[in-house]
Amino acid sequence: MIIKDVVCPFCGCLCDDLDVEVDGQKIIKVQNGCALAEATLTGNNRLPAPIRRTATGWEEISYDDAIRETADILLAADRPLLYGWSSTHGEAQSIGVYIAELIGAVIDNTSVVCHGPSILAIQEVGHPGCTLGQVKNRADVVVYWGCNPTEAHPRHMSRYTTFATGFFVPEAQKDRTVIVVDTRRTESAEIADEFIRIERGRDYEVLSALRAIVRGKGSILPREIAGVAREQLFRVAEICMKAKFGAIFFGLGLTMSNGKYKNVRNAIELTDELNRHTKFTISPLRGHGNVYGSNEVFTWITGYPYAVDFARGIAFYNPGETTAVDILRRGECDAALIVASDPGAHFPHAAAAHLAKIPTILIDPHHTATTPLCRLQIPCTMAGIDAEGTAYRMDGVPIRYKKLIESSYPDDADLLKRIHDRIREVQGA
Amino acid sequence: MRAVLNTGRTISQGIAVEHKGSPAYQAAVSVCHMNPVDLMDLGIEEGAQVVLTSRAGSVVLTTRAAEGINRGEVFVPLGPYANHIISAETHATGMPDFKAEPVDVVPTDEPVRTVWELMESIGGVRYDH
Repeated sequence: MIIKDVVCPFCGCLCDDLDVEVDGQKIIKVQNGCALAEATLTGNNRLPAPIRRTATGWEEISYDDAIRETADILLAADRPLLYGWSSTHGEAQSIGVYIAELIGAVIDNTSVVCHGPSILAIQEVGHPGCTLGQVKNRADVVVYWGCNPTEAHPRHMSRYTTFATGFFVPEAQKDRTVIVVDTRRTESAEIADEFIRIERGRDYEVLSALRAIVRGKGSILPREIAGVAREQLFRVAEICMKAKFGAIFFGLGLTMSNGKYKNVRNAIELTDELNRHTKFTISPLRGHGNVYGSNEVFTWITGYPYAVDFARGIAFYNPGETTAVDILRRGECDAALIVASDPGAHFPHAAAAHLAKIPTILIDPHHTATTPLCRLQIPCTMAGIDAEGTAYRMDGVPIRYKKLIESSYPDDADLLKRIHDRIREVQGA
Repeated sequence: MRAVLNTGRTISQGIAVEHKGSPAYQAAVSVCHMNPVDLMDLGIEEGAQVVLTSRAGSVVLTTRAAEGINRGEVFVPLGPYANHIISAETHATGMPDFKAEPVDVVPTDEPVRTVWELMESIGGVRYDH
């Protein structure tokens, strides 16, 4: 059977035009998708059953026991941390927030180690963004700053920018000018009409220089800024100011380098300056399939997009203090529930090491680098493969994941609901 | 050699990311991309091992020449190897220095460890199934 218009759950592009061939409970062919989509949809590294760490290794346990034990661990903790959430659907994310509120936990999502700083900048100066459809149909200048979509979002350029035909951009490769700004000459840089190569950690200066030029103050600039010739920046500023509609996309090159959220703030303020001349937008290239959804869901329930601390009985938010890496680094949490993410692989090891010292429960379909660190892992369905649900694309558009195959695994939203209900039952008693 | 460590996504890392114990994943994320002139300075060929040491720890990686990387910089795909040498300090932003960790790069004959060995070194217990 061939299922049409399938949504790929891997990256924030959430491409929704895949054709997937299914044979019984197996996905056998993926069409239209990139290499990441094919690997995601045909992968089969599922954990077979719930497991518990023992003194000598691991033992399989029942779902009922795993749920009861999870609730007991969370109830007994003084400072529980609930982390992850970006590779599942909004339905599971929302129950996670309700559990956090019940037990006075900190709940954080993976944007803390990707575009968290972008959110901090947006909270300071706003977000002049737009949907990807606007970019596809209107943008004649596209800037990729500190990102490498060819490897991280492989179809971004073919669906929305460099190679995409749009309503007002009928001949993409002729009508669109693509500018790439990076410290590395990446594959994306090879495709660009203009590649600005800057010295590592000096994005802020180049953004400030461009702002000065757009403001008409370019004469004050030195000949070279962060390894970039002044003339190139004059040329690029002119391309941007003459655009009919420009779109900046930025990646972790801004959020993880020196300056972090201040880099993003400067990029947003450059966009503001450009809007005095033409239409310009800016948006982060979001990584995980539904990481944007975790920000949306957290925000509509708590008022804050990540790093929400319920210890005071109300929602409190202070990135740097209530963020997962900081809480783990300080050895502050005494239990952790990890859902749909892999901090074992993606957190600095000093933070990940704390997970092995405390009772950590992992709810995830796969055998991951967090598996060895946890006390209990409960496998579940994978959103977009054997579970349906709502996800948010990188531009904030909600898209419904389809269920492609039946499986014997429980949905993580159902597991979390049972844990939630068990906690309420014990608290009520 | 003193260098700045940059980390980020690669397509092979993304393809293998849900198979953390696989040889493909280990091969994708235990590489140290560096400028060919820096490799020459270290007196080693592409494919030789180096040990990267930072304020947070050290890890052995396999080198790969990459013209697109500046001298004095090294690039390691995100994952447990890069994170073995990235400090958990966030300077009160919540975000570690994933793209700005100073490291020393020294040739070595030591082998690259597996993902499970790295996890065991921080207190984990491997799950064999």
